[in-house]
Amino acid sequence: MRRTAILFGGIALLALLLTPATGAATSRGAARAASATAAAAQQQPADSPALNARGRELYQNACASCHGPDPNGPSYYPDVPSLADVGGAAAVNWAVRTGRMPWKDNKGPAIERGEPRFNEEDTRALATYIGKAVGDTEIPDVDPARGDLQRGRELYGQACAACHGMNGAGAALGGQNIAVSLQDVHPQDVAEAIKIGPGQMPVGGGLADYEFGTAASRQEVDDIAAYVESLHTEPFNRGGAPIGGKGPVPEGFVAWVIGLGILVAAARWIAGRG
Amino acid sequence: MTDSDQQGSERVDVDRQTGQGPADTELTGDQRRAERRAGIALVVAIVAGIGLFVVYFSGGQTQIEGILFAVAFGALGVALGIWANHLLDAREVVEERHELTSGPAGRQAFEDALAEEVGPVLGRRSLLVKLLAGAGGALGLALLLPVLSLGPAPGNSLKVTPWRRGLRVVDENGEPVTLNQVPENGFLTVFPQGHEGAADAQTLLIHVRPGTLKLPPDRLAGVPEGTHVAYSKICTHAGCPVGLYRAESQTLICPCHQSQFDVSDGAKPFFGPAARPLPQLLLGVDEENILVAQGDFTAPVGPAFWDRGR
Amino acid sequence: MVERSLKYVDERLGTASLARKTLRKVFPDHWSFLLGEIALFALVVLVFTGTFLTFFYTPSVKEVVYQGPYTPLQGTEVSAAFNSVLRLSFEVRAGLLMRQTHHWAALVFVAAIVVHLCRVFFTGAFRRPREVNWLIGILLLFLALGEGFTGYSLPDDLLSGIGLRIFYAVTLAIPVVGTWVTYLLFGGEFPAGDIISRLFVFHIMLLPALLLGLVGAHMAILVLQKHTQFAGHGRSERNVVGKRLWPEQTFKSVSLLLFTTAVLALLGGVAQINPIWQYGPFEPFNVTSPAQPDWYIGFLDGALRLGPPWDLDLFGFTISEVFWPAVLFPGIAFGILTLWPWIERRFTKDRAEHHILDSPRDTPVRTGIGAAGLMVFFIMFLEGGNDIFGVLLNVSVETITRILQWGILIAPILTFLATYWICKGLSRTRLHPAHINAGVRLSRTADGGYETTSLEPTSSDGEREPTRTGG
Repeated sequence: MRRTAILFGGIALLALLLTPATGAATSRGAARAASATAAAAQQQPADSPALNARGRELYQNACASCHGPDPNGPSYYPDVPSLADVGGAAAVNWAVRTGRMPWKDNKGPAIERGEPRFNEEDTRALATYIGKAVGDTEIPDVDPARGDLQRGRELYGQACAACHGMNGAGAALGGQNIAVSLQDVHPQDVAEAIKIGPGQMPVGGGLADYEFGTAASRQEVDDIAAYVESLHTEPFNRGGAPIGGKGPVPEGFVAWVIGLGILVAAARWIAGRG
Repeated sequence: MTDSDQQGSERVDVDRQTGQGPADTELTGDQRRAERRAGIALVVAIVAGIGLFVVYFSGGQTQIEGILFAVAFGALGVALGIWANHLLDAREVVEERHELTSGPAGRQAFEDALAEEVGPVLGRRSLLVKLLAGAGGALGLALLLPVLSLGPAPGNSLKVTPWRRGLRVVDENGEPVTLNQVPENGFLTVFPQGHEGAADAQTLLIHVRPGTLKLPPDRLAGVPEGTHVAYSKICTHAGCPVGLYRAESQTLICPCHQSQFDVSDGAKPFFGPAARPLPQLLLGVDEENILVAQGDFTAPVGPAFWDRGR
Repeated sequence: MVERSLKYVDERLGTASLARKTLRKVFPDHWSFLLGEIALFALVVLVFTGTFLTFFYTPSVKEVVYQGPYTPLQGTEVSAAFNSVLRLSFEVRAGLLMRQTHHWAALVFVAAIVVHLCRVFFTGAFRRPREVNWLIGILLLFLALGEGFTGYSLPDDLLSGIGLRIFYAVTLAIPVVGTWVTYLLFGGEFPAGDIISRLFVFHIMLLPALLLGLVGAHMAILVLQKHTQFAGHGRSERNVVGKRLWPEQTFKSVSLLLFTTAVLALLGGVAQINPIWQYGPFEPFNVTSPAQPDWYIGFLDGALRLGPPWDLDLFGFTISEVFWPAVLFPGIAFGILTLWPWIERRFTKDRAEHHILDSPRDTPVRTGIGAAGLMVFFIMFLEGGNDIFGVLLNVSVETITRILQWGILIAPILTFLATYWICKGLSRTRLHPAHINAGVRLSRTADGGYETTSLEPTSSDGEREPTRTGG
């Protein structure tokens, strides 16, 4: 009896300890998957009053305590932006689907991504309600397959690479700002971020002559999305484990800890007890 | 047992020069185990080596080749390490150190030889020796002259860029940039027409929000509509392109050493190691609504150098 | 057959007696004496892989159109240098393996030199008669840094091009002659096209020639002067106790060579390094984040980030703010490092020959200063990665920079004091973590009584020195 209890206790403890690890490992993948399904569901603009009502209900429960009773009006706190001109339905989609909103109590700079807290139906409801309330209901429609990979790389280099890194590694931007890693994001995230210009990112994502809705801009977004997609396909990491993809700093760490570490251990073994 | 070292002598219990080491029949258990382990390691090395042939000729694969090389070399290293530590009849040997110095007698002999053989040759020809030194100096310096051919004289090239009054502002593909082409809060890297891609002419055109610029009137005159401001993209610290524009706070941060510049305030640095603001490029608009430069930058672009202020 | 070949060579070159003498030379057996060999063997790997790379590399900035299998770059205009490295990585069998092994070997090469330098410093092996070898060693360190920097700049990718830009600014910051030196070195205003082919000449000819020559001298002096050794049973200033070059040390060294090759090949195969296709070709108006150099230049990057924004105006002439962290500080730091044997001698007045090494704990001032120096460099390395650590630790880069700016003034002093105190403490107790602790052996005598035997702390060669005490 006692042994069984210990056994189950041990398994439970192990599961508890391992969950964050597996969770972290799959959260990005899961977030991408969630983005994928949610994005597919959101391509069609929904217009039913029931959806709108559901959206209002969700807003009052989850968002109003910070963003104010009316999405189109002021928020309750100076640090919290009013939803009136953050990008409308696309902004709601982007923030909720990537798990950034509702706001988690995070200690560090920049709002972290995570598991989405609402399912696709509810996300769509929120987007519909808020979008209607602020007068911006357009959701970008993006398809990397329509994009020109080489042109996308060129545009990315001009507009995105300085902050996000040519390989999408992401970087600190000073203060409380971070340009996130793009090495595992969904194309819908890319298109929406470009439309709304979240945080320090300008509307248009730094693309010259960007205008949402025009064919030229949609093509440019498709091109960039195609390049961002290529950041996690195989030839990109042909050399092996990317070690974070952050360049020489983690490489130096590996050289010292693994390279020199193993060799010093080897030297001690070879020298024997001498 | 003779030794070619004059002062070296050895104190070893066993004369290992004449013996061949212990006979095979006297292997200890530890040595037998070591021999077996070394043997296994060598077999692993052989298999990995063969594996390399297989992988290479079937197209090659970087990760597998790396692992197989590591296994092959590593196993061989293990085998030799085991051999060195367990299969050699290794005893500690003591070797005497000999004097490193030649001693005062030796040095004296050298000095005497120098005086005897070199002195007479040069001593009596002091004028010739001095002229020889002079010639050596002059020619030695002359040999360095080709170094000056390695590059052009700097002149004032660090203080000027291709920007001139009236030159059109174009993007990196040569397309002229019109007023309001860049959306509000947006930015674009621009060049003078005819010099697309020129490193020292790279300029950031930023469309700031109206009423946010705090520039003196003569600088504000070079900002069309009070919103299209242009600064040199070359960081005044160490020269990296300052491409990170933070639209919300209208500030730039350089990725190399985190110098931060306030776009609303003449691109003055407010954090980090940069000491000077980014030079501004004053702009105007021509009759086709295309942005044009009013002249070169307001200061030499890029990092500081000795004669920058002159 | 072997005998006849040896006779053939000896009749023409007189090698037999020299070989016999050399093969019998004794080298002490401590593991920390193998650190320099790790560096040497990394150099061997560098030369072999580097030669292979040279067959494929084109040192030219002429624009060509990339037509290879990496799709995002197809049709893009890139330099011939960049193109050649891409082709080597994607289209040559084992090309990427050789290239990555070469780059990992460079990182490990400099790391091994640094730990070897630390071993020599902390044990006082630079004292007479080994000052010349110390100088040669420091020179080798500089040459290794130069080789690394020129090497990773050769592919002409965006990241290394940014690094070259910073190097241009550093040479510009040299007072009086900076502009001239920079223009002569680069061939004009940045990005002077000649620089890639010039770096190539430095990297495959000038620096390797100096490096290999000095390595030869370094080892010849070592063989001539015989290696130092730690104090211990049977060891004195007048002898060397260890194992012979043949067979023991040869087997051990070859084993270490094989291990070095194995580790570097492993990293070269499974750990991606410097993926230039991700960064893309260098354009002087493009930039990427994060932007750091290879680790051994990282201290300079960190110094530049820490540096205060003080430029000086001297009657119209400018001292750049880059001067203090990137010209003055390395000059002083490496100057002290280079001249250390003489600096120390000035204070210790010790002019004697030393072949027995110090235990670091017995020289607390030297050890403390060394630790403080390492702390200064460590802080610079941390600052060099401040944007990456900032994201990792959820702290802003400004906070990290401010902390490290204060840290670089305070931490070395604290490090010196702590190290000094620890050394003094360890010195008193004479305990060593690797030694078996002194203890007491209790044994029964034949007539039924007890006998305690006190065991002295063992020396590293495993010998015990039992001393009998009463029973």
